[in-house]
Amino acid sequence: MTDTATRGRLLSPAIRLAGGDCACAACGHVLGPAADPWKHHAVRRETPLATAGGHGWDTGDDAVLLRQFFCPGCAALLDTETAMQGDPPLIDRLAGA
Amino acid sequence: MMQNGEASYLVATDVGGTCTDTIVFGSDGAIHIGKALSTPPDFETGVLNSIASAAGPMGMTLESLLARTHLFIHGTTVVDNAVLTRDGARTGLLTTAGFEDTLHVTRGAYGRWSGLTEERIKHPVKTDRAPALTPRDAVAGIPERVDCDGDVVLPLDEAAVERAVRFLTAEKGVEAIAVSFLWSFLNPDHERRVRDIIARVAPGAYVTLSSDIAPVPGEYERTSTAVINAYAGRITRSYLTSLQSQLAGKGYGGATMVMQGYGGLLPADEAADRAVGLIECGPAAGVIGARFLGDLMGDRDVIAADMGGTTFKVGVIQNGQLEYAREPMVDRFHYVAPKIEVVSIGSGGGSIVTVDPRTGLPMVGPRSAGARPGPICYGQGGEEPTLTDVMLMIGYMDPGQFLGGSITLDREKAERIFRETVAEPLGLPVEQAAIGIYRIASAQITDLIREITVERGLDPRDFVLHSFGGTCGMLAAAFGEELSVKRVVIPYTASVNCAFGLVSADIAHEYAVTLTLPADTPAERINALFAPLEEQARAQLAAEGVTGDRVRMEWSVDLRYSRQVHEVTTAVSAPTPLDGAGVARLVDDFEALYERKYGKGSAYREAGIEMTMFRLTARGLMPRPALPEEAEGAADATPALIGRRRIFDATGGAMAEGTIYDFTRLAPGMEVTGPAVIHTPITTIALHSGHHARMDRWRNIVVQYHA
Amino acid sequence: MDPMTFSIIRHRLFRIVDEAVITLKHVSGSAITNEGHDLMVSLYRADGTLLMGGVGFLHHLTSAAEACKAIIRRFAGDIHEGDVFLLNDPYTAALHTSDIYLVAPIHHDGRLVAWSACFVHVTDIGAMNPGGFAPQAVDIFTEGFSSPGIRLVHKGEMRQDVLDTILNMVRSPEMVSLDLRSMIACNNVARDRMQALMAKYGAEAVDTACARLIEQSETLLRARLRELPDGQWQSRQYLDVNGTTARVVLTMTKQDDRLVFDFTGSDPQSPFSINCTKWASLGGLFAPLFPLLCYDITWNEGVIRPIEMIAPEGTIVNCTRPAPVSVATVGAIQSVNNAACTTIGKMLAASDKYREEATAVWHANHFAIFKFGRNQKGGYSIGILTETFAGAGGARSFADGVEIGGEIPNPISRMANVETVEGAFPIRYLFRRRAPDSGGPGMYRGGTGGEMALVAHKAPDGGIDYVISGKGARHPMSEGLAGGWPGAPNSYVWVKAPERGNTPAAAAGLDDIPGTAERVSWGVFPLKGHDALYVRWNGGGGFGDPIARDPDRVAADVAAGLVSADSARAIYGVALADGAVDAAATAALRAGIRQDRLAGGMVQ
Repeated sequence: MTDTATRGRLLSPAIRLAGGDCACAACGHVLGPAADPWKHHAVRRETPLATAGGHGWDTGDDAVLLRQFFCPGCAALLDTETAMQGDPPLIDRLAGA
Repeated sequence: MMQNGEASYLVATDVGGTCTDTIVFGSDGAIHIGKALSTPPDFETGVLNSIASAAGPMGMTLESLLARTHLFIHGTTVVDNAVLTRDGARTGLLTTAGFEDTLHVTRGAYGRWSGLTEERIKHPVKTDRAPALTPRDAVAGIPERVDCDGDVVLPLDEAAVERAVRFLTAEKGVEAIAVSFLWSFLNPDHERRVRDIIARVAPGAYVTLSSDIAPVPGEYERTSTAVINAYAGRITRSYLTSLQSQLAGKGYGGATMVMQGYGGLLPADEAADRAVGLIECGPAAGVIGARFLGDLMGDRDVIAADMGGTTFKVGVIQNGQLEYAREPMVDRFHYVAPKIEVVSIGSGGGSIVTVDPRTGLPMVGPRSAGARPGPICYGQGGEEPTLTDVMLMIGYMDPGQFLGGSITLDREKAERIFRETVAEPLGLPVEQAAIGIYRIASAQITDLIREITVERGLDPRDFVLHSFGGTCGMLAAAFGEELSVKRVVIPYTASVNCAFGLVSADIAHEYAVTLTLPADTPAERINALFAPLEEQARAQLAAEGVTGDRVRMEWSVDLRYSRQVHEVTTAVSAPTPLDGAGVARLVDDFEALYERKYGKGSAYREAGIEMTMFRLTARGLMPRPALPEEAEGAADATPALIGRRRIFDATGGAMAEGTIYDFTRLAPGMEVTGPAVIHTPITTIALHSGHHARMDRWRNIVVQYHA
Repeated sequence: MDPMTFSIIRHRLFRIVDEAVITLKHVSGSAITNEGHDLMVSLYRADGTLLMGGVGFLHHLTSAAEACKAIIRRFAGDIHEGDVFLLNDPYTAALHTSDIYLVAPIHHDGRLVAWSACFVHVTDIGAMNPGGFAPQAVDIFTEGFSSPGIRLVHKGEMRQDVLDTILNMVRSPEMVSLDLRSMIACNNVARDRMQALMAKYGAEAVDTACARLIEQSETLLRARLRELPDGQWQSRQYLDVNGTTARVVLTMTKQDDRLVFDFTGSDPQSPFSINCTKWASLGGLFAPLFPLLCYDITWNEGVIRPIEMIAPEGTIVNCTRPAPVSVATVGAIQSVNNAACTTIGKMLAASDKYREEATAVWHANHFAIFKFGRNQKGGYSIGILTETFAGAGGARSFADGVEIGGEIPNPISRMANVETVEGAFPIRYLFRRRAPDSGGPGMYRGGTGGEMALVAHKAPDGGIDYVISGKGARHPMSEGLAGGWPGAPNSYVWVKAPERGNTPAAAAGLDDIPGTAERVSWGVFPLKGHDALYVRWNGGGGFGDPIARDPDRVAADVAAGLVSADSARAIYGVALADGAVDAAATAALRAGIRQDRLAGGMVQ
């Protein structure tokens, strides 16, 4: 049996599709049906990028956000975006999901 | 055999990657050759073995030969080896504060892609820099600053230097320290004071100043040079010291001269402090040897091609002048030092032949079977077909006569694997597939040499091609024809070419002053720059015992068009010291050279011309050994004819019956016409229809294309 | 055709492009061409389709194909052996006016059989700001000379009136003349070598080989695409200019052996010159596609066939005339590069076979700063700060990004030495080094970018001026992958010296330069008196979760000054004691971070 058959398909190194669901690749926590954008089922946190940490992140503008998506099960960081307030999350999906 | 009783000898030994070669010139006019395996990292053993192997057939011992040797000349890979195997000293770096990352940043991506093949450059996700020779935490920034005129903007913080030296030696355990400050080539004062402080605080540390080893603009390359030199410094010094003492232990009482990458010789004691000067000195010697032979044969324009088991190297001699590398590298590290340009690619007899499963196309390389396991036919464990196996299948190698019969070639196994992995996937009979591979290899070398000559603004049709190395002879006549070179020469000394180059070199010291002056600068100003350099050089040569008419002072100047990046080193052809007319001639020569190099219409006179560097090469002429000459006799080569067999004839595009000759039975004047092969002790010379080869009075094989 | 002859012709076509590039660099002799490798040379078939792309700024390969086609349309029936055509109108094919295409037909036995095309970024094009990038431009008419196609050389003879007219419109006519001559020489070499190839093997055999080479590339790319998962991936780029923000939004759909790049949702075209035309967007998405998906496939028309682009008209990625576009190459085009790099990277990362080919975005944000003014020798100089070519590598699925390691769309660039710049311009560096915390955090960290500060030094006019087309100081643009953070954004700061201050001799960092800091990003500014200009450029994006990073690697980063101790704790959850990892404290920190993540966030 191939890797894919045993482990399901990967949408990204952090997200696995198996048994009709999206799941955290690290802990297996289910992030909703595969047809749904998994980000709707993840913990989302938005912080002004200017305070994200470290020399060099001070953009002088609080409207620019670091948007992170965490696994509700194991708190793994699943995806990171930069976004303006209100911009929709980026949606990635595999065909046939 | 000639009686050796009265003769004295010149011995030259070059350490190569695989073999250490020796050539011995006797005052009786005889030449002797020795070969032994190189013995890294204790290269001295291989050197002594190689000299002994030359002594044996002379009826002498190592000791008796050395006792009658008046000069020993040496080329060594000790520095290349130390860098490649990361076997140098723990090295720290002191540099201008605020610029501590210069070495590790390598001018951006430059250090990531330099030295990679185009295939790898097109695949950037899989590329990285080589880790630097000094770790980043062994770099200390020193408050100090000099500007573009050499003026001090911020004085040297001597207390900070002392702290940094203690930190590097005590905390980081460094044994060698490179010092490289911004603009130090214009004002070396700060670097020199640092050297004094190190001598006081850490007297055991090996020190290299960038302003000593590379007094030229460009802080990244200058810093990298200082680091390489510091890194390999102690190994170099201890190797040369040990070699000289071992030679002395075997009875040698004369001087040892060491080859430099720029093609000149330095006394061993001086060479010991300039490790970077030794980088690739062997290949440089090879080009020097080709120039010497070219001069002897009346050919001033030579392409020297060397193809052995793993690498293909090309050097270009134009009008008797050598090309210097623009951006020399060792391993993947840049450095700046005058070095003869030898372009090297990983292609040789060991290049593995495959068929790309995706495209069904045959490929030669880039993987190589190297010396081990080597080609299938050598029977040393090789399981993949190589270019050498292909040569066997198209009749260029005699299975029973390889290397004087010392190895029997396994043609059957080579053919079987080649059939399975190459011929059948191509849908071709073995012979046709092998012919195709030969054509591809020949065409690819043609492309490479054309690109190298184009880069220098040269036309291969004006050149004679010298072929060196075990694989080159089988291809040289074919690619030489496609390049339309005047003729191809396979030199008699081809098997020990680099050692031969050692004895064709002079003592040479290089000096330079960096200063930007307009092209209309008065001659007196220029002469005033050269005068102290000449004085220094004469004293140096005198200390080495070179005086009077053995001294040559050669001036050259780097010029450029303002606002353009290409600088061209232009030899001063007028008598020196210069007068006004001499300066004008220099500028004219530069303009002609620039257009030749960079193409018609490339000159940008409107912006004005600047001189940027003033270079002195001080030569101490060495006596040239005379190559033995014999009168050319009859053309009939029948006495050397040893058989006939089917060989590939590129002219006809098919296998044909060829005549087979034994090089050792050929005599000067004899002629061979293709299709034919000449077996020499180290290679096979393949001749195609329309190729005429003749042994000349120095026993070189000269191939011409028109009768 | 037998596979041997095909292999030989293929190899020679590669070398022809190489030789032409050498010629271009030789004759030009300019710093931007030779150091920045801001150039391109490629061969095209008789119909203008791409035959063999060379290594240069890769977003030009398809645009130059369109330039060939535009010339074919315009001059049909009037194209002669020895002709050279110039084209630099962005609304016809070019990327921006200062990247001039010279396009030359190649004839064999009197028949048009192929084209060669090349570009360099010319020293000046007569736009309202010197150097080609014109942040103050309001439309294409203020961006200098532009031509949809003009014959520069007729049957081997230079049309002097045309050349003189062009040179009459630019600031540095001698240098531009040399740039044009270098491109003519380059095309000549390509033509001569192609003709020699056809003389040896016959025009028909060469043409057959070319056709087969294209088919082969198409077959190989389609086969690779079939191996990758079908799906849809999105990315988004923000371009902040002068207080405004514009979005480039990309949805990439991969189905079977086809890829569609859809920019629907991108913002309307900008009043500023960051816009790009559709040909530029097409080039922009191919620039990363060639090295990321076709690293072992010949770059030609065959690679283009499986790819489709949708770019709505009137948007920043397909602007309509007369919108200004002079900053496009470092504006919308670079954002298209970045967005495509991200979606391709996401697709590759979803494949077990190709995960190692995935990369977070490299150096996503050029800062085009052109210095101009009287230099210490009294002459007038224009020149780009080549640090913009130094770049930074994105993190990969198996390794960190390369510190200051370049960029994907231009695989062989480099920056000039400090001494080279100080020798040519009346300025002095206070520092130039890797910028701590600039690499995008992740399990594998993005490569750091750099930072530097400049002051005027021994300047006859008290300093110089510079044109800056800076963006990305508010928005980081080097996106991460698989949870990795983006690389830190750029920063451009004018430090105004205190009254009666002195020019500093050295500085440990931005905070160490005396004076008041003011952000600058767009327009023309002075670097004069005792003031300083500070520039920091972005690091590469990270890959994976930062708290999954090997703590020893974090400790090494801190020791090397690449990551601050604060960031090590706050972002990576690594506690250090005397420079070494404190394992227990690290475990506790990371557990705390996990708790915070779940406590502070929300499930939608």
